[in-house]
Amino acid sequence: MSGQDNTALLEVRELKKFFPVRGGLLQRVVTQVRAVDGVSFKIDKGLTLGLVGESGCGKSTLGRAILRLHEPTSGQILIDGQDIVGLPRSRMGEQRRRMQIIFQDPFASLSPRRTVAQIIREPLDVHGIGTAQERERRVIELLADVGMGAEIRDRYPHEFSGGQRQRIGIARALALEPDFIVADEPVSALDVSVQSQVLNLIAELKKKRGIAFLFISHDLAVIQHVSDEIGVMYLGQIVEHATVGDLYSAPKHPYTQALMSAIPVPDPTARRTRIVLEGDVPSPMNPPAGCLFHTRCPQAQDRCRTTVPAMLNVGSETNPHRVACHLQD
Amino acid sequence: MNTVAITTVRRESLWSKAFYKFSRDRTGMISLVFVLFYMLIAFGVTLGWLATDWSDVQGGKWEGMSTTYWFGTNMIGQDIFSRAIYSTKTAFEVGLVVALIATAVGAVIGAISGFFSGTWIDEVLLWLMGVLDSIPFYLFVAAIVFAMQESPYAMHVAMISTFWTGSSRLVRGEVIKLRGLEYVEAAHAIGVSELGIIFRHILPNTTHILLVQATITFVAAIKSEVILSFLGLGVKDGMSWGLMIAESSQEVMAGFFNNFLAASVLMFGLVMAFNMFSDALQDALDPRKVS
Repeated sequence: MSGQDNTALLEVRELKKFFPVRGGLLQRVVTQVRAVDGVSFKIDKGLTLGLVGESGCGKSTLGRAILRLHEPTSGQILIDGQDIVGLPRSRMGEQRRRMQIIFQDPFASLSPRRTVAQIIREPLDVHGIGTAQERERRVIELLADVGMGAEIRDRYPHEFSGGQRQRIGIARALALEPDFIVADEPVSALDVSVQSQVLNLIAELKKKRGIAFLFISHDLAVIQHVSDEIGVMYLGQIVEHATVGDLYSAPKHPYTQALMSAIPVPDPTARRTRIVLEGDVPSPMNPPAGCLFHTRCPQAQDRCRTTVPAMLNVGSETNPHRVACHLQD
Repeated sequence: MNTVAITTVRRESLWSKAFYKFSRDRTGMISLVFVLFYMLIAFGVTLGWLATDWSDVQGGKWEGMSTTYWFGTNMIGQDIFSRAIYSTKTAFEVGLVVALIATAVGAVIGAISGFFSGTWIDEVLLWLMGVLDSIPFYLFVAAIVFAMQESPYAMHVAMISTFWTGSSRLVRGEVIKLRGLEYVEAAHAIGVSELGIIFRHILPNTTHILLVQATITFVAAIKSEVILSFLGLGVKDGMSWGLMIAESSQEVMAGFFNNFLAASVLMFGLVMAFNMFSDALQDALDPRKVS
């Protein structure tokens, strides 16, 4: 509908997802796991936001909360300006057509007792799209879109390799012609040789159909390859958000700098300083006061331990580069 | 459904794999042949082809084995062989009815309970299972027999209402595992309703448990039927191995074992074969071993 004006395809405002931890005799809520703790960003049509971070930082929870697979604790998720948090089931159905998800583990994401055709046709069945014949035809088109032949339609998932299964999962996600897809580590379970095939398929879909992606990964090389913008997550918050070029050439946040220094350089003579982070990620049940990163930050100062840093724009108005760090003042 | 004509390749479902695996299991196949043989006998009796003379008084008291009376006759001159054969039908009838209904009820309730685990729905269902499991079985049967005014189905009702909890707990556990899997999340993302997810995505993936559980329930039902009939709580107007054993309690004292042996051996054969079949089925259907 809109899109020409300032409304982004997807805008997330202050999204939070806490998981209650119950304990004691009466199973009262004793504390909360702050998996996603106040995340905001926008994704425009056809663009890809990459989301990096260590395991356990809340990347996947964020992706699932946007699709309301986990009900958000608070915050807003706007699709073309309409908030989908709290929409009743009946009206959520239409919105589900606009956004889909691709999963990490291609062995767990397809039901073992359904044929490929049944799996890909189900979204069409659920939303009552087309006649039975049209759906059958559409399944074959979708298979062709992901580079697979119609002859596999009656086979079962266990007969395929990881890469092939991932393609079937992508075909299922495409069936409803979504505007936006959450790709939750879609290649990290695949062999490197197959990774590039699936990444190229995703790049092609993005170019041809203008689908926007939220691409979640812990692999910095993969995320650089597919993203337009990158958000770096730490303990449920985005600590730095910039375009790929800016982030890789001039990372501002000490955490991003440490991540970047861990990328291997294919040149044995190149000199580089690795920043090795001390200690473990603090528990999201009991996050540290002040800056979340101060417990591991090599440049931490006194104010980092007490004051929460605000998100600052250190780039320009048209090309923002946001970072939450006191050292940028 | 499949209106578009497309050349289908050879379908290799998990079922065909399991079938192939089962067919190579020698013990499993032999036990299956035994079970099928018993089943044929039960069919023959049901259709009125076999053992029609089970209640006729034909010979003298306690006749020995002969070509007319293969296993001899009982205290009042009825053909023991006919009675033992006729009882096969009773056993199968009870086993099938109880196994099918109890497993189906257990599957549905277990799936709902597991899917909604952590909510009050699950709490209520778990409480119900706990209550049923805590009633002593024979007391429960006696109460139902009394309440149902000696209906011939009192025994079935009692067994179904207690045996489903076992399947239900197993299915519940499996569903709690399955509901977190990504294909269930994918179904949520597509917009499939909760009932659609339970019945189309989750339950079909518990069938390996259900099939095995049905065979175990079948055996348990047959054994319970025999014991209940022996106690006078089971079969009322028919014949059963349990009733034969009850009759024989007087005969054994007099040194006549035919009635007792015929009923015990036939029951032992069926229970043994079915247990072995159940084990082989479990191996063949185990998804960790199949795929």
